[in-house]
Amino acid sequence: MIRMGILSLAHHHGEAYISNLKQMEGVELVGVTDDDPLRGQTIAAHNRAQYFHAYEDLLDAKPDGVIICTENNRHRQFVEMAASRGIHVLCEKPLATTLEDARAIVDTCNKASVLLMTAFPMRFSAPLMEIKARLDNGDFGDVYCFNATNQGELPTKYRAWFADPDLAGGGAIMDHTVHLVDIMRWLTGAEVKTVYAYSNRIIHADDVQVETGALEMLTFDNDMFATIDASWSRPQYWPTWGGLTFEMVTQRGAVLVDAFRQNLNVYSDKWERSNWAYWGSDMNHAMVNEFAAAIRENRQPRVTGVDGLRAVEATIAAYESDRTRKTVEVKTA
Amino acid sequence: MRVGIVGVGFMGTTHAAAWAETPAEIVGFTAETQKEAGALSKQYETRVYTSLDEMLPDVDVVDLCSPTHLHHTMALKAAAAGKHIVCEKPLARTTRQAKELIMACQKAGVQLLVAHVVRFFPEYAMAHAAVAEGQIGKPAVIRLHRGSYRPKKPAGNWFLDEVKSGGILMDLMIHDYDYACWIAGEAESVSARRVTQRHPEAPVDYGLVILSHRSGALSHISGAWAYPPPTFRTKLEIAGELGLIEFDSDGTAPIQNLILKTNEGAPDVGLPSSPVSESPYTTQIKEFFHALAEGTTPRVTAKDGLHAVQIAEAAILSAHSGQPVTIQSMGDAS
Repeated sequence: MIRMGILSLAHHHGEAYISNLKQMEGVELVGVTDDDPLRGQTIAAHNRAQYFHAYEDLLDAKPDGVIICTENNRHRQFVEMAASRGIHVLCEKPLATTLEDARAIVDTCNKASVLLMTAFPMRFSAPLMEIKARLDNGDFGDVYCFNATNQGELPTKYRAWFADPDLAGGGAIMDHTVHLVDIMRWLTGAEVKTVYAYSNRIIHADDVQVETGALEMLTFDNDMFATIDASWSRPQYWPTWGGLTFEMVTQRGAVLVDAFRQNLNVYSDKWERSNWAYWGSDMNHAMVNEFAAAIRENRQPRVTGVDGLRAVEATIAAYESDRTRKTVEVKTA
Repeated sequence: MRVGIVGVGFMGTTHAAAWAETPAEIVGFTAETQKEAGALSKQYETRVYTSLDEMLPDVDVVDLCSPTHLHHTMALKAAAAGKHIVCEKPLARTTRQAKELIMACQKAGVQLLVAHVVRFFPEYAMAHAAVAEGQIGKPAVIRLHRGSYRPKKPAGNWFLDEVKSGGILMDLMIHDYDYACWIAGEAESVSARRVTQRHPEAPVDYGLVILSHRSGALSHISGAWAYPPPTFRTKLEIAGELGLIEFDSDGTAPIQNLILKTNEGAPDVGLPSSPVSESPYTTQIKEFFHALAEGTTPRVTAKDGLHAVQIAEAAILSAHSGQPVTIQSMGDAS
């Protein structure tokens, strides 16, 4: 039995992970903690999970692994807490908000010999895994470029800190760049070489102080290039939270992928908007299951801390480009 | 109003059909050989001219449906002869040429009308109107896509000749540069990449362009010559401070063909195919006819045509250098 804990519910994905863990065979949820006792106790009670008042108490219960769902800029301190006790870590994305923190997180886990996995659920998306298999099978030939979007609604409806420049480390760029950078690295094995980014704050200009619109142009070390639309540009009445799409242009033509297309259209008098009810496979479940399996089998998980670090490096380069209005080289931390 | 059409390819044919629905008279077509213009001259019972010079004395308006690299010389000739000009997009192959044309037409007192037909497509015109009415507030992030297969030609495929057409970043994507600026105003900087820059041998081409506008809005423009014939699809998304407008030609196609025997012969250039009561090309030419006959201002001006060429040229430069390219303000351009 692999014993798991959840450190903080600041990120709303923590709630999904509770239910994932509770349904998982061979895994026991030790419990959850949170900075906000009311929020933590409420969520724990709803999910019939044990609530720990202090982080130390949960760690003292000696889980094999923890999932860190704090605000983005606090990942490092929680990773260090877990690693120092020899507890394996699955860390919410982005791995950190600075190059220094991301590097330190990777180094700390290496030194402590604990597994470090970055929460990139898209690697466990069934449609994306199909694309990866076809790519590896040579069905498409060379990949030339990606035209990608990861657009969402303003995430402050879930948690206010998502738009806090310190706690989140930025806005739409910080929130959305890492997913597609990781997908492209994973699919092609190429590393990001340069980034150009341009952001604005026209949508929700009065609600938040961080960028809400962002377009990025990336080049890779194999001459591939890509754009990413990282904008928080889905309106309140959009049928779902947002989505992730890409067009992959190859020697054999183009493939259009819409990772969250597997929906029912539901129209009900109960809502002011039509609703897309997602019936595709639960990628969070598959991701958390992989973390448990890596611990059980004492092997590296399919997504590592270095994958998280590489995505942070591209994101930091995007912010530098947005400031300098130049295409910038990605710095390897 | 006597109109002479230069070029008898797809555009010459389409413009002729549009002019036929106006009170203007089609005087004739200019083609390199009598043979290639045969069908058109017969249909409209007109002459075939073997050169623009030969045609000029007989017309009031010259409609240039010739390859891009010829627009400059031909339009200068027409202006010098005091003829009004309708010019297929792009207005010219370079910014310098486009500016020269505008000045020559001003000096000659003739009109210069640029056929950026996308502004006349009902879905694009309606989206523009919705933005103008404030339905989605100030535009913030605009995404425009246009995808088809590589243009094919029986002979002399000038579309694929970078020097003549400007390639995908100019020939195909200029439609959406112009539309983006119609929605969000002048562009300020351009960052671009295209497949054939690094892979000249690639069997497909694809361009990606990020525009920043002086208004603060951002546009993402993508163009594909990468799909199997006869695919032609366009997509539009305008995210504004109050909402979102989206359009996908595939998603809104009123007819889906799942017929067993497909016609192998796709046209030389991929074309839009949503049936509407009046062809957008006809809407465009009618508006140009009124501009010429009554002096009304059409929805697209020569200055817009120049700006689109500026963006295309900057995109080509950026794809080459890898750095964003700043666009000269239109205020400084004239």
